[in-house]
Amino acid sequence: MQLLPRSSNLALPRRPLRLLAGAAVAFGIAALVGLVLATILTATSGDSAAPSRVDVWQLLRMTAIQAGLSTLLSLVAGTALAWALNRLRFVGRELVVGLFASAIVTPGLVVAFGLLAIWGRAGWVNQTALALTGQPLEVPLFGLGGILAAHVILDGAFAARILLARLDAVPDLRLKTGQSLGLSAWQRFAIIDWPMLQGAIPGLGAIIFLLAFTSFPIVLLLGGGPANQTLEVAIYAAVRLDFDLRGAVQLALVQIGVCAAVILLATAAAPVSAVTGGSRVSSWRDRGAARALQWLVLALGMAGFGLPLLAVLANGIGPGMASLLVRPGFWHALGTSLGLGAASAILTLLMALTIGTARAAAGTSAARTLIGAPAFAYLAVPAVVLSLGAFLIVRALGAQTEASAAPAVVLLANALMSLPFAVATLGPPLDAVTRSRGKLIRSLGLDGWQQFRDIEWPLVRREAGIVLALAFCFSLGDLGVIALLGTQDFTTLPLLMYRALGAYRTNDAGTIAAVMLLVTIIAFVAIPRLFEVPDARR
Amino acid sequence: MSFKHFALAASLCAIALPTVAEDRPVLDIYTYDSFAAEWGPGPALKAGFEKICGCTVDYVTAVDAISMLRKVQLEGATSPADVVVGLDTATSGEARATGLFADHGADTSGLVFWPAWSDAQFIPFDYGYFAYVYNTEKTPNPPKSFEELIALPSSFKIVIEDPRSSTPGLGNVYWIAAAYGDRAPEIWAGLKPHILTVTRGWSEAYGLFLNGEADMVLSYTTSPAYHVIAENDTRYAYAPFKEGHVQQIELAGALASSNQPELARQFLQYLMTPEAQTLISTTNWMYPVTDIGDALPDAFPPQPHVFIAVSEDMIAANGRAWVDAALAALQ
Repeated sequence: MQLLPRSSNLALPRRPLRLLAGAAVAFGIAALVGLVLATILTATSGDSAAPSRVDVWQLLRMTAIQAGLSTLLSLVAGTALAWALNRLRFVGRELVVGLFASAIVTPGLVVAFGLLAIWGRAGWVNQTALALTGQPLEVPLFGLGGILAAHVILDGAFAARILLARLDAVPDLRLKTGQSLGLSAWQRFAIIDWPMLQGAIPGLGAIIFLLAFTSFPIVLLLGGGPANQTLEVAIYAAVRLDFDLRGAVQLALVQIGVCAAVILLATAAAPVSAVTGGSRVSSWRDRGAARALQWLVLALGMAGFGLPLLAVLANGIGPGMASLLVRPGFWHALGTSLGLGAASAILTLLMALTIGTARAAAGTSAARTLIGAPAFAYLAVPAVVLSLGAFLIVRALGAQTEASAAPAVVLLANALMSLPFAVATLGPPLDAVTRSRGKLIRSLGLDGWQQFRDIEWPLVRREAGIVLALAFCFSLGDLGVIALLGTQDFTTLPLLMYRALGAYRTNDAGTIAAVMLLVTIIAFVAIPRLFEVPDARR
Repeated sequence: MSFKHFALAASLCAIALPTVAEDRPVLDIYTYDSFAAEWGPGPALKAGFEKICGCTVDYVTAVDAISMLRKVQLEGATSPADVVVGLDTATSGEARATGLFADHGADTSGLVFWPAWSDAQFIPFDYGYFAYVYNTEKTPNPPKSFEELIALPSSFKIVIEDPRSSTPGLGNVYWIAAAYGDRAPEIWAGLKPHILTVTRGWSEAYGLFLNGEADMVLSYTTSPAYHVIAENDTRYAYAPFKEGHVQQIELAGALASSNQPELARQFLQYLMTPEAQTLISTTNWMYPVTDIGDALPDAFPPQPHVFIAVSEDMIAANGRAWVDAALAALQ
């Protein structure tokens, strides 16, 4: 890792307002988490329920192993895919990129069922094997293997999307130099690509770890039993079954503690001088074995990541759609989801830019951590704790029922959920801009707004487009908090899907899942395109 | 319509709505999500009751019955709820112990239960039995007891729900505990190789089963009726177990803190009318608590011959230990 000379801090433009705004957002988030936990503790009125029945250490160990493996596999798969996609050009490439990116924002339940549609007992692979050989091909999908597979599909494809954006940002000049030096495919990756990826890996790794660490529906659906479980499940049980709120808060604190350690490690990582900006379609192709390997990686990626999602589309789109499409409830939910997604996307981008620019302007690593770490907080707080806290806070504020406050709570929760992803996406390029052009900015005497408008925004708008798409889709697919709030009139698509599933209507649920996936893919193709750098003027 | 017109219309509506609502008293009903959802009995019951009560019915939902009870407990005497719909045998003891529920004062003489219904706080609005559902084409000879199930090769898979997060999951634990007593851990250990997975809720488990991932799913004896009536699909049945089946009675009660006690009582009474019972049976897919005669479709499977009673007292004394033992056996 290339360490920055200390003197580089002197080159940073002074931006007290940015630091203040970033600190305010960070403090706001941290205070919200604190308030949620404190409110729940106050509500327990001191009576200690029966001692917790949870073996915390055993749970922690199992969860850490699972999350560690999920992270490692996702990063490796993501890097390989990003590498292949960066080099290859083919018809439908953008769709493939969109499909991959949509995985992480699809409800875990949908991905799990997609996985089963391919690899399950009644899945495509098994049916084909049965037809061809007369022998079923039993893939052990339930247990740690199934959990890992689903997590890698969700998170590995997402990693690929973020890392691809970094690779696509390699400046032309560097590529031309590399090409004229005749770098081999491996040298090209090690010398040109890896430094670009390096800055994104800690944040990305932390996010994937946290997602896997707190995973709930996938772990229960594919886990095969109570042996494979996460703390999040235990916290849910403590709140719901035992009504042991004190115990739930204690477990939540353990979870937040572990997650905080991971977050601190990631955010404390020294900023890497990544370069930003777009490169046009490169004409530099790798040759021979490397090229073949790229096609192989892509094919495996399509089979592994694409097929389960295609299965969701295939199962959902059919004659059964008509009965759903005539329901006003469906259109109502679609409208709510789209509006919520748009609002959440904008809120997320604003918060991420505030935090990202403040972090980049911070001179010390302590300040960077203080500003950056709370952005990840939401991933560490169990949804059931958050919704319980929101319920109590809203009540304390005097609202009749939390349903009336549901839109605001869901909006905030969705934006906070996307925030870590947004900061991980926007943070490295913003750091890079400040560090590589700090002197220029100072010598031109630009003020903060000019710096943003003329220097930073043109260089990060590509990432901003990704952030908007991501936050929009996250909100579209979220079933975490909304399912726990009493929201009869405020229904989103995922909630409608879960209700259909709960009313024996598997077909309707399948259709809704397909619609959500479709909207997600379209959003991921269309929104970043709006923010593509218009190259003619550059 | 121009934006200006739209904005004008919208603000007019905003002014008009509250005045309409204020004319009528509001009955706040807490229930679980799928009861109030558009596919559940909620909307039709609301319409039916509003016709006779001169009031407005509002649903506030929770994920499930237990979460609903937690909500009421957290709110205590200041709860805006008038009626709680959807408690059951597994939660009624805890609910009663909170002291938040009033005597229902409703007439329960016409109910199908024997001995006659004597619960002072809660009225029943439907009931069913936990059972394992299977596909008769794929499984011509289903097991007739937990022991027969255990004796099958381990490739015969079942999906069950987690007792910590699901009502049938909890019912299953009570079922095995009540039927086998001290032998329950042994039964759980025997089931372990057959358990494909333990899901969070009924929806996921039933979805896995319908997708063909498992041979049987923990559900209700009434589940096959849905497939016959809504999908004209007669392949599904439940497997009657020799041990007998645990009954789940779904309950409703009025809160002592209600500011509409008379409306609350009327609603509880309404829930037991043939009109409401007919609605509930084919939207909640459970047996009616009053005899509704031909209104109950023939597709409803016959009730099991043997059933096991699990009382509130037994649950209060042993429930937690039973769950712990089951989970330990599955570790």
